Amino acid sequence: MTTQLPALDDGQKAEIKDIVCDILELELDEVTDVSLFKEEHDADSLRTIEILSSLERTFGIALTQSELSRMVNLAGVYAVVAEAQVK
Amino acid sequence: MSGAATPGRGGRGARHRVVVTGLGVVTSIGTGVDAFAAGLRAGRSGAKPIGAFDTTGFAHSNACEITDFDPAAWLTAQSPDDLGRAAQFAVAAARMAVADAGLTAQQVRDVRSLVSVGTTDGESRDLDHLTALQVAEGEDALDEVAARRVWPGRLSAGIVRELGLEDVETVTVPTACAAGNYAVGYGYDAISSGDVEMALCGGADALCRKTFTGFYRLGTIAPDVCRPFDADRQGILTGEGSGILLMESLESALARGARIYAEVLGYGLSCDASHPVAPDRDSIARCITAAHRNAGIEATDVDFISAHGTGTRANDVTEVGAIRQVFGDTLPRTVSIKSMIGHTMGAASALASAACALALRDGFIPPTINHRSTDPECAVDCVPNEAVEAELRVVQNNGLAFGGNNAVLVLGKWEQAA
Repeated sequence: MTTQLPALDDGQKAEIKDIVCDILELELDEVTDVSLFKEEHDADSLRTIEILSSLERTFGIALTQSELSRMVNLAGVYAVVAEAQVK
Repeated sequence: MSGAATPGRGGRGARHRVVVTGLGVVTSIGTGVDAFAAGLRAGRSGAKPIGAFDTTGFAHSNACEITDFDPAAWLTAQSPDDLGRAAQFAVAAARMAVADAGLTAQQVRDVRSLVSVGTTDGESRDLDHLTALQVAEGEDALDEVAARRVWPGRLSAGIVRELGLEDVETVTVPTACAAGNYAVGYGYDAISSGDVEMALCGGADALCRKTFTGFYRLGTIAPDVCRPFDADRQGILTGEGSGILLMESLESALARGARIYAEVLGYGLSCDASHPVAPDRDSIARCITAAHRNAGIEATDVDFISAHGTGTRANDVTEVGAIRQVFGDTLPRTVSIKSMIGHTMGAASALASAACALALRDGFIPPTINHRSTDPECAVDCVPNEAVEAELRVVQNNGLAFGGNNAVLVLGKWEQAA
């Protein structure tokens, strides 16, 4: 295990934010890196699964369902996708 | 227990007692009542790689598919093309149930009857096909043979047409994975109230890509087999089939000297609609209590529970929690036949009702197969891997569905009064 967290470039982050906003039906400026999908943006568990499956398709990665517990905001999603890409 | 032979009925006045006299089953562990009973006793598994549709891209894809079903062997009044796979199963099971009850179609035709069939997916197998056609060839591409039969009303109407029934109420009940019990419960009401004399009730569903994919995406499809109540359970295997019960009033059964599998003592429903997919423990407990009250029994009367027991993390913990809420610390043996036949969706609780009726008649409890170590979070005696012999009086059958649709049925042994 490396302690260095893999990073995404700005283009990938923008792509992820687009996906999340599209699924949660939000404007891009309504969401920050730390605003919470469920508590602040009214997301339910099925929407978060939709986000997960859309990320898998877009980035060609495999995410396990247990990662959902970390995907509570954009920062969490960035971290999960970044880790999945180096696996 | 004398109470089983004198159902309470909650003081609603004189009503007809309702008995099961015929069973028709199409399952991945056997078609026909004898093969199904033998499969339950032996703990047979219907799990196999899916052949029903292309599974490219899925990391794992087992299901409890039926590979030996020949619709032409069962349909006499209709062409197999008239009916989707789920309706074919339902019609075959209904014809088996009529024959198993020692009846002819004419005898059913002669009385006022009900046909109620529960389903989750209707003819989604055909919808898979029609959707794939549109994706491949454009929106105007439709297979008219398949398009004509996708109406889920065909599941019950197909039975009516096959048997030539006229004085009949015809219902398809779409309450998802508890639909079989809803349909049987409705039959109980129709007979006990005197509205009809006979009822053909149960459920049917066919494997389809849509449902497999949906459950897969929810992370609830087991990679290998279904292990209800096991510490290492990883989810369901989708299944298919149909179970139809022929029910009639006790007077009708006695008058014609019919063999009686079991008495339907009552049932309970609850609908909480609290979450699209997550089960609600309190609501399930309410449903169980309502069923006991309707059946005129106490929790201590129940000899075993045929659980909904899907083998997902969430279901088994929540369901056993609800059972504990009603039964306290001493739980009856609690089994899941989904370990053998998979989750047959709308047919699930109907097939489990048939299994309970067979258990009552033959004196055994079907096992929960694929079991290794019981999860302390849902600790029950699930009759691991091997059936046990048991003298049974009262059996409870749970059906729980998405959307918080729950239906619990109570069956009892029927004994001729001395």
